Amino acid sequence: MEPAIRVEKLSVWYGQAAALCDVSLDIPRNEIFGIIGPAKSGKSTFLKCLNRTIEFVPGARVSGRVMIGGEDVYRLRDVFALRRRIGMVFPLPVGLPLSVYENVAYAPRRAGLHDRQALDQLVETCLRQAMLWDEVKDRLDILGTRLSGGQQQRLTLARALSHRPEILCLDEFSIAIDPVTTMKIEDILRELKQTTTIVLVTNLVQQARRLADRTAFFHSGRLVEVDQTEKLFTAPAHRLTLRYVNGEFG
Amino acid sequence: MVLPEERYRIEPSPPLLAATEADDWPFGTLRQAVEALQRCAGPVPPGGQRPVYFDIVRQPAAAGKRPRKRPAHRFFVHLNADGQGGDGSETSPWWGLGAAVAGLVELAELGEIELAPGQRLRLEHVEMFSASALERAKRTKEAIAHAVFLAMALALVVPLMAVVGYLVVRAWPALCWDFVWQNPQDYMTAGGIWAPLVGTFFLVLGSLAVAAPIGVLAGVYLNEYAPDNWWTRLINLAVMNLAGVPSIVHALFGVGAFVFFMGMGKSLLAASCTVAVMTLPVIITSTREALASVPMAFREACWNLGATRWQTIRTIVLPNSISGILTGVILQVSRAAGETAPILFTGAVFFVPVADHGWESLVPYGPGDRFMALSMHLFTLATQVRGVPEPIQYGTAVVLLALVLAVNSVSIGLRVYLRTRKKW
Repeated sequence: MEPAIRVEKLSVWYGQAAALCDVSLDIPRNEIFGIIGPAKSGKSTFLKCLNRTIEFVPGARVSGRVMIGGEDVYRLRDVFALRRRIGMVFPLPVGLPLSVYENVAYAPRRAGLHDRQALDQLVETCLRQAMLWDEVKDRLDILGTRLSGGQQQRLTLARALSHRPEILCLDEFSIAIDPVTTMKIEDILRELKQTTTIVLVTNLVQQARRLADRTAFFHSGRLVEVDQTEKLFTAPAHRLTLRYVNGEFG
Repeated sequence: MVLPEERYRIEPSPPLLAATEADDWPFGTLRQAVEALQRCAGPVPPGGQRPVYFDIVRQPAAAGKRPRKRPAHRFFVHLNADGQGGDGSETSPWWGLGAAVAGLVELAELGEIELAPGQRLRLEHVEMFSASALERAKRTKEAIAHAVFLAMALALVVPLMAVVGYLVVRAWPALCWDFVWQNPQDYMTAGGIWAPLVGTFFLVLGSLAVAAPIGVLAGVYLNEYAPDNWWTRLINLAVMNLAGVPSIVHALFGVGAFVFFMGMGKSLLAASCTVAVMTLPVIITSTREALASVPMAFREACWNLGATRWQTIRTIVLPNSISGILTGVILQVSRAAGETAPILFTGAVFFVPVADHGWESLVPYGPGDRFMALSMHLFTLATQVRGVPEPIQYGTAVVLLALVLAVNSVSIGLRVYLRTRKKW
């Protein structure tokens, strides 16, 4: 079967500094794919390459190919269609200066969905999946920017789910969310796996171990190894990986 | 009684005097004196203003020298506290007399607080939250800064009030509604200012109609669409420099470009275009600043959701920057109302006969007509015509000022209204 994401010899430079070197990997459909690695190892850069948000970074240059659904994303004419197929959650929660409802309905509206009932339904589903519904259901009209940090992060997650993406990229989605809620969201992610491919970047090594089917270890811009999660955590091929997952550096 | 060679005495400050056992002194060694402090302490009543301290003085003074008042060593203590900690400095006093004595004994052992004859060591009480010397200095600087800024603000306001007050007082005899509604009469030595007032109004409307769309949309392009390369930076630099070009230069440009080259002749249209060109750079700059104040994270969040640039601008960027954009535009309009130089060569004239009543008096100028304007009229009254009564001159200035003030108030009102709807 065609993998959901195929990355071939992907390299990224910020000015003169290489952020990502010659990364090649396949991510099959309906898999939770974990990416771990110390700071500055290129995890977030990798995610930004998938939906081409790397292009917003001034001075960033990309070489290599990213194939999503068999198409080279760097040759796409309609980058907006690409971004509609990929849900992105970045570590800094951003509530748009709109109501909570409009935050979640933003992407569907831009994509042409205006039926009120369908929107209501969609907003509720997404907010439930992000474990935010119970906290905001009575005040859907307050500004997204007025929510607390953890709530905004879940709002960001709900927004990323709102356009029913085929691929969901999560970059440190849980840093501002309490552990109990995080566990509940992790359960939701396992359900979502039936329909979605999930790329999970995390500094919480144990989160990757709990969730991911396969995990990749990045170090200073290079893909050190990628393997079944249990194998990577118990018997990795590289000493560097073993030291990282055991918390000896990073 | 044979006194030891070294003698120390404790000199407490007034509130502590009662608690001191005076017959204990003199002490043979510094350490004995320090340890005796332990017995001297009583709680210090709060709120005292005078310094509260113990001095340990070594006696006698060297021959021929008077005992020095200034302590050789100074240490600080919270007498009312009880505990351990602090190092005796002003920023970190000892917590309680026990800690102070222990600390001083340690220092005495190390030989760091030796006293020469006549010298004194002071252990001073500080309130728990009293200001240290550093904090007092900070407070002084704060007060000075406050005063300087206040003085400058007053220096700004006072002349403004003086100008307005002076103008109104001098213009008072002429100020009435007829002064506004009537046209100038008898070679401008009588009557009102209706014709120039309407002229200025149309000039402002015309320049607004030209400058606002071009300026705002160009600002949106430069901030939201243009890639950040040397070409864009060059344009930005040019725009900012244009804002500093004197208005008389714009006037000459207007004569060349609009009056002659485009064949508009000296007309309301040519003057409006000239004023529009003059106000464009500032409108562009203020639009860009308003747009740039919307955080980049909002745009990126929208782009991540698959929104196009225009969708992002329409739904997020413009609603949150519109107050700043409109303020910039309106401030430029009020500036346009007061300019004389750009209209001097491009369409404004000393005098145009204008109908006194009816429809004709409301729309006295077509786009191709020469017109009167308030700023120009003021110049004419003041320098070109003999025998104009003073109140008429000052009255014209007051009306011009009121016009600018009215436009600016609209701007402020709009800004306040739109800011209450700002979304973060």
